[in-house]
Amino acid sequence: MTVAENLFENLRLELRRGCLTLAVLAQLRQEYYGYTLRKALADRGLEIDESTLYPLLRRLETQGLLASEWREEEKRNKRFYRLSSDGELMFTKLLEEWQAINASIDATIDSNR
Amino acid sequence: MELLDRYLEAVKKHLPWQRQDDIIAELRANLEAQLEDKEAALSRPLTARECEDWLKQLGSPLQMAAHYNPQQYLIGPSVFPIYLIVLKISLSWSLIVCLIVSGVEILTRAPSLVGVVEILLRLPGVLMTAAAWVTLIFAILEVAVKHNYIQLPPEVVPTGAWSPGSLPPLGMNAVQGKNARTFSKTVAEAIFGFLFLVWLLLIPNYPWMWLGPGAAFLDIGRGSGAPFQLAPVWVQFYWCMVALSVWQLAWRCLELYRGTWQKAQPAPNLVMKAIGLIPLILLLTVHDHVFVQLSHPALDQVRYGATVDIINKSIFWSFLGILVIAVMQMAWDLGRMGLTAWRKRLAAQ
Repeated sequence: MTVAENLFENLRLELRRGCLTLAVLAQLRQEYYGYTLRKALADRGLEIDESTLYPLLRRLETQGLLASEWREEEKRNKRFYRLSSDGELMFTKLLEEWQAINASIDATIDSNR
Repeated sequence: MELLDRYLEAVKKHLPWQRQDDIIAELRANLEAQLEDKEAALSRPLTARECEDWLKQLGSPLQMAAHYNPQQYLIGPSVFPIYLIVLKISLSWSLIVCLIVSGVEILTRAPSLVGVVEILLRLPGVLMTAAAWVTLIFAILEVAVKHNYIQLPPEVVPTGAWSPGSLPPLGMNAVQGKNARTFSKTVAEAIFGFLFLVWLLLIPNYPWMWLGPGAAFLDIGRGSGAPFQLAPVWVQFYWCMVALSVWQLAWRCLELYRGTWQKAQPAPNLVMKAIGLIPLILLLTVHDHVFVQLSHPALDQVRYGATVDIINKSIFWSFLGILVIAVMQMAWDLGRMGLTAWRKRLAAQ
């Protein structure tokens, strides 16, 4: 990997990090377990590595933004996640913030054209 | 699948023991569901090779487990800036002290290349020990801060409250450019340079101006009958000092005449300092370190011999100390000059 490619990869990961949390919170307004959540996000064009998504779910749950429960489905115990009430509030705020940033970036790009 | 079981077992080893069963159960459920999907898409079980490729994609067990652990660091972002400052100061002082001790050891030992190399090779060890102690202390501080045993002052915490009013005032150098000198300072240097030269030129006729009441003990070529006299090396030292003072005075006057006193001239200043070392080196290289000798050795050896030895040793060590400090100061100036030149070159690119 060249220096430029390496730099791009680092910046891309940095850019994605915050967006992934928002996407996961958005998707978990419905209940999912880890693998189906990953598939649902991938279907919407957002591929997330297993090693990123599954620990992220744990972290968000520890922070009180997600609620989870073990339940049997298709003869297998799975841990299902959904947005908690604190998570819903946080999601609304983060979404506003993200939309504002998006609007600012769009306006900046438009003004420089 | 055996390979998946082995993978999960390997991940488990690196997870915190309180949560490992729970995490592995969840990870197993997710990965098995994924595997089933893959096999359903292919309408057959995965081959060993395909399974290896898939697990490879997940990342090594260590990497996978690392994502489940909280971010770990020895010294966190709140303590790190102050750690860096303290580390720099500690390393600088360790280096200075070590260089002084090494310099003295090299000069006092019988000269040998192996001895010099041995002394210099100790330097990295000393610096690493200093760095290790500072790091250890700050790692303990980090733990104490993290668990709220102590609180850092707000000035050193990146997010802490601080007042812009507490910022130090800008120095004269920062306002007028680095190393800028004022007219009055240059005039004062020229006046004091002139007074120093006058004082220096009066010493041969009025030795008390140099030695005070101690001049009564010196026989300065007038047959006063004093027990001690200066070694001939002082004559050379004296004229070196006079020449240096004349040169420095001329330099200051020239600066005033040309109006260039504000201009930073690190290189000529460094040359002036280097030439200033000549009289010191002259004194320190004198044979047997004889600076003061007896006027009448045959008569006074028993009475004053030991005293002369003590005086000579004291003078030698004092001048050696001055030389070491002067050399270190020059090395510092040289380093700063190099750094400034390097920054300028970088800025120009």
